Amino acid sequence: MSPSRLPSGGAVIDRSRPIKFKWNGKSFTGFEGDTIVSALAANGVDVFSRSMKYHRRRGILTGDFWDPNCFVQVGDEPNVRAGHRLISAGIEVSAQNVWPSLERDVKAANGLVGRFLTAGFYYKTFMKPATLWPKYEKILATFAPGGAIDIESTPGRYDKRYSHPDVLVAGGGPAGMAAAIAAAEAGADVMLVEHNHQLGGHLLWGSAEDQKRAASLGARCIEVGVEVLTDSTVTGRYDGSWVAINQRNVAGETIERVVKARAKCLVIAPGLIERPYIFEGNDRVGVMTSGAARRMLNMYGIKPGQKAVVFTANAAGDAAAADLADAGVEVTTVDGRTGADVVRASGSGDRVEQVELADGTVYEADLLVTAVGWTAPTSLANMSGDRPSYDPSAARFFCTSLPDDVLPTGGLAGDGSLEENLTHASATGRLAARRGLTMRNQMRSMTPRASTGVPAPIKDASEPAPLPRANHPELFRSTTHGLVDFSEDVGSKDLWAAAAEGFDSVELVKRFTTATMGPSQGKLETVNTVAVLAEYLGQSIEEVGTTVWRPPYAPVSLGALAGKNSTPHRISSIHVWNKANNCKFIHAGAWLRPDHYGNAQAEAKNVRDNVGIIDVTPLGKLDLQGPNVPDLLELLYVNKWRKLDIGKVRYGVMVGEDGVVLDDGVTARLGEEHYMMTTTSSGAASIWEWAENWLQTERPDWDVRIVPVTTSYTSINVAGPKSRELLLKICEDVDLSNEAFGYMSARPATVAGVAESLMLRIGFTGELSYEVHVPAAHGLKVWEALLDAGKDLGVKPFGLEAQRILRLEKGHFIVGQDTDGLTRGASAGLGGLIKLDKDDGVGLPELRWAADRTDLAQVVSIALDDGMIVPEEASQLVDGETNTIVGRITSSRMSPNLGRSVCMGQVIPELAAPGSKLTVLLTDGRRVPAKIHTDHAFIDPEGARLRA
Amino acid sequence: MARKKPARYSAFDLVKRGLKNEEWPRLWDHHDLNKSYDAIIIGGGVHGLATAYYLAKDHGITNVAVMDKGYLGGGGSGRNTAIVRSNYLTPEGINFYNRSLELYGSMATDHNLNVMFSERGHLTLAHSDASLRTMRWRAEVNKLQNINSLVIGPDEVKKIVPSLDISRDAAHPIEGALFHPPGGIIRHDAVVWAYARSAAAMGTQMHQKTEVLDIICEGGSGPDGKGPGGKVTGVRTNRGDVSAPVVVNCTAGWATLISDMAGVKLPITTFTLQAAVTEPVKVFLPAVVVSGSLHCYVSQTDRGELVFGAAVDPVSTYSMRGTFEFTENLAGHILDLMPGVAKMRLLRQWAGLCDMTPDYSPVMGVTPVEGFYVDVGWGTYGFKAGPGSGEAMANTISSGRNADIIAPFDLARFAEDRLVGEKGAAAVGH
Repeated sequence: MSPSRLPSGGAVIDRSRPIKFKWNGKSFTGFEGDTIVSALAANGVDVFSRSMKYHRRRGILTGDFWDPNCFVQVGDEPNVRAGHRLISAGIEVSAQNVWPSLERDVKAANGLVGRFLTAGFYYKTFMKPATLWPKYEKILATFAPGGAIDIESTPGRYDKRYSHPDVLVAGGGPAGMAAAIAAAEAGADVMLVEHNHQLGGHLLWGSAEDQKRAASLGARCIEVGVEVLTDSTVTGRYDGSWVAINQRNVAGETIERVVKARAKCLVIAPGLIERPYIFEGNDRVGVMTSGAARRMLNMYGIKPGQKAVVFTANAAGDAAAADLADAGVEVTTVDGRTGADVVRASGSGDRVEQVELADGTVYEADLLVTAVGWTAPTSLANMSGDRPSYDPSAARFFCTSLPDDVLPTGGLAGDGSLEENLTHASATGRLAARRGLTMRNQMRSMTPRASTGVPAPIKDASEPAPLPRANHPELFRSTTHGLVDFSEDVGSKDLWAAAAEGFDSVELVKRFTTATMGPSQGKLETVNTVAVLAEYLGQSIEEVGTTVWRPPYAPVSLGALAGKNSTPHRISSIHVWNKANNCKFIHAGAWLRPDHYGNAQAEAKNVRDNVGIIDVTPLGKLDLQGPNVPDLLELLYVNKWRKLDIGKVRYGVMVGEDGVVLDDGVTARLGEEHYMMTTTSSGAASIWEWAENWLQTERPDWDVRIVPVTTSYTSINVAGPKSRELLLKICEDVDLSNEAFGYMSARPATVAGVAESLMLRIGFTGELSYEVHVPAAHGLKVWEALLDAGKDLGVKPFGLEAQRILRLEKGHFIVGQDTDGLTRGASAGLGGLIKLDKDDGVGLPELRWAADRTDLAQVVSIALDDGMIVPEEASQLVDGETNTIVGRITSSRMSPNLGRSVCMGQVIPELAAPGSKLTVLLTDGRRVPAKIHTDHAFIDPEGARLRA
Repeated sequence: MARKKPARYSAFDLVKRGLKNEEWPRLWDHHDLNKSYDAIIIGGGVHGLATAYYLAKDHGITNVAVMDKGYLGGGGSGRNTAIVRSNYLTPEGINFYNRSLELYGSMATDHNLNVMFSERGHLTLAHSDASLRTMRWRAEVNKLQNINSLVIGPDEVKKIVPSLDISRDAAHPIEGALFHPPGGIIRHDAVVWAYARSAAAMGTQMHQKTEVLDIICEGGSGPDGKGPGGKVTGVRTNRGDVSAPVVVNCTAGWATLISDMAGVKLPITTFTLQAAVTEPVKVFLPAVVVSGSLHCYVSQTDRGELVFGAAVDPVSTYSMRGTFEFTENLAGHILDLMPGVAKMRLLRQWAGLCDMTPDYSPVMGVTPVEGFYVDVGWGTYGFKAGPGSGEAMANTISSGRNADIIAPFDLARFAEDRLVGEKGAAAVGH
């Protein structure tokens, strides 16, 4: 018989508000407050899915979020928990992983050969012939469970929120509510998080009296100012009481939210999860837990069957039997406390029609309700470092040792009457408030102020008196074998077989059979798995132990975890101009940088012939002040820094502790104790950290203040023979003559009326050039002033591509492109720069070793004999016609100024001398001759242009 | 030692035993600890078990105990993301990984246990000009070493993996990828079981829940006869003392703690690496996708789950509790790459320990303590190299000197400044 809606009842549905939706293409109507499962059950639907392996029909098992039998597809969302998800108008719900339909599913044929498909069978077959395995694999993959995603869909809106409650209560049942109320009454700022749609926990599916109690506790929560999040799950507790919450009931267009709470004290009150019972036929449609039956009856007004057998070993089962009888169901009660046992459910069409007891009695029934005990969801305790231990008299696990800021209450802490529970929870809440407020006061008192503004912690809160533990029979498995993991189709027989094969610890059996690894995350399966294994091994459950519960407590969508997921791009103040002027951008780390303005070759040529300007704002800039700056520079750079005059600039290279080149750039001395360091653009952040790390951990006695000022300035390089002429037009307060402001000097300047600018005369491009750093707010103004003033000089903007050509013509290497993870200072052609006679320096011993080495690859400039060929970067240098690698091309470009290609590369030392002949293996397979160039620079090796 | 042929695994035998309702024999037995062994291998993961297997198979050394403080495959072997590939950068690395890939390819038939090696192709995405250059470098080097690996453009990337967003306005546009067709995924637990079963069949003993508390040495320059110049004589375990002239350290994340017991210092720091898995959905992702610059990689199992991994965490720790930030960053980056997966749900996260060396390459072979061997420092790619290094370690142990294939990875290289250059191309290497 099918389930049906009772004429009245159902605490959470509103019968005045019907809602239409679709199930497998057909229209159905439910009420507001209905879940997909309850709405369908009200319409007589009893099958919601097919099992993973044998494709058996599956009906309600727990009827809530955890129900492994009620995963459905809603639109393009897979694996929706139909026992939890509320219906809304027009949603299209369908069964997952069935073909051609839920009722007629061809893969149900697997059930016929089930005895051969024991857990892990695939490890033992599909091996011969080996060539057929890819085909077998494709077929196996069609058995993947779950729904489908639409790979073309775009993520909707998700967001994040931070929260800093004094007390965070995980679980909004009676204990959680009482704890939250007590904590709030004690002055704490409290957040209460409930997994279900309403506060109340098990009271919700209890008697009318229970429901009234839930409502009044809920109302009191609001009254005392507890912040309540429903349909939200505490998914994890991480180090430092960093608590992650997945909030699903979010207003507006936002789909889900992640709340990140730094809880000063965490109360865990998740209640208990009812365990299914293991016996033959326990996955038949019509077999459900007492919680499921009561949820259907009392929350949704649904009669789950006509003739029921209730197998009960506790009060929850007794209550289910009573509730069913009240609803007009014909009930037979089988009391597990007296030794009676259910051994088999049988029937046709995967449904229950008969229930057989251990004494041989057979009852006709379409509903079999089991109440055999509880799993304590100790996940949050586990994540707080606890290893729970098993109490055989209560037949469940309990926490053993928790940190002071994690307090369990409710079912996790013990049993007892509702009143005893509320008393324990209130005391727990008061203790949590005391600890939370104590911490908030301590934190607040670190910043001096007249009053901390934080309520004083109550003094009379102490550890609650422990809750009693009720005796409960250890009922896990009947004398027959049944399913243990419903989402993975793994039975107790599979577990025994696995143990017999040697997978005889809980971790091994889990890995071999996949029990507990499915979407229910072991909530219903873990303890049963352990119990079945313990029974086989003749060990106690405590000896076998459990697997570690890992986060998240409930699965979280990738969308919610990602949040808004906007990857910001960094742009300079000139970006708007660039965008309006045909600039093609390139992604460089987080920066969007100008790559070119249409013709990089022409841009590069214009720099050599006239003058060009480039936006180099991302260049790392560190403002260094203090008496020990020279010491720091001497430590970090491979060269010497103690004798740098004010107004002078020096080039330096940094190496790591392995002597490998890390970064390069220039540093200018601006005043007595004031320097400006520039780093590569990609090193802007890492070199700041690097310098701070040395200062803070190795040289804390040094007086150096570092301020990263990369984005405080807009940086423009003005390069080309006419650059001085151009700057003369817009800079009045600096003598730009070669005598007054020579190569490698720095001057404070006012540029285009912008004061507090800085000019460095340096030349990465190999031209006379000035690096102008202006306060960022005025960057665009200076850029436009340069273009305007330079019209008659032929000024043109140039991008990174042109700069790459120019520096390559000049033979300047780029760290990380021409050098790599093994390039020691000496191999980068820095022989003269490195000073090995310093007292100390990062990587100095390694540099000394490297200086004696004769086997290190060298960074060199390379010219192909045929200058019309531009070898792709990464083309290998090989030994003649062999495949022996002797080096590689690291950079290559066509030079517009020389009319031929120019390259840099690395070669073995034997081939590094100028004029050495090389063979370049082009990526298309051709081998072409090349030579090491006479100088590092192809253009102006003497540096006359730089110094002009 | 007792030898018995393991039960044959085949479809025929599945049916036969199914009909007779007959149990399968154990893959390996429990044993009491002997008083002495010819060799003790510490660490029951892929490396330790492969070493034991090749010691028995290639060198006839079967009086061997594999000891693990937990259960077989409970460390990195069961926590990695099960990706295998051989398109490394250095010839030394390639030698190794390519040999391992070969052995993985024939493992199911060699061991008569289906390890479900899925050769599905491995894509390393490039999001910048610079990383495309590095990909090309790897491809060009690989080409010269007959490794099938090539650089492909965004359109070809999209053809292979339709769920990737190759639009130019993506947060991290895909400029191209290094495509390595022989790369793929494998059932990592099955690899562990295959080696354990085959080694056990030749007489090697598996000792789980057997924690080595100390390594007993004599003649060394340090306290208790440990340290350079000495030799090992056995180990102290939670189940008693056992003597052996050879002790092999295959303990990855715990490598330094174990080596310290013999007085051998290793330049290794342990970091965690986190991974996660989603709920299953119908198969849509046909290849392994890696993004070095976004520090993530993803593949879809035949069961439909997405398996993710990341780079090692920034701080050194033995705690395997994991962090929330990991899942947030991971999800953000995965959605940048594949916006269509937003509604999939993360099911479980975990962490494993990685033994990192300064040059991202392992430390293998003999040590200054006679009889004490190491096969450690594999960092983030130990699983991929398991079979090849087991074979080489067995060779080394039986001869008492480092096999040629592992010579570049000896412990002495750090003192002699002979670092291996894998770091150059593989800051995140999966």
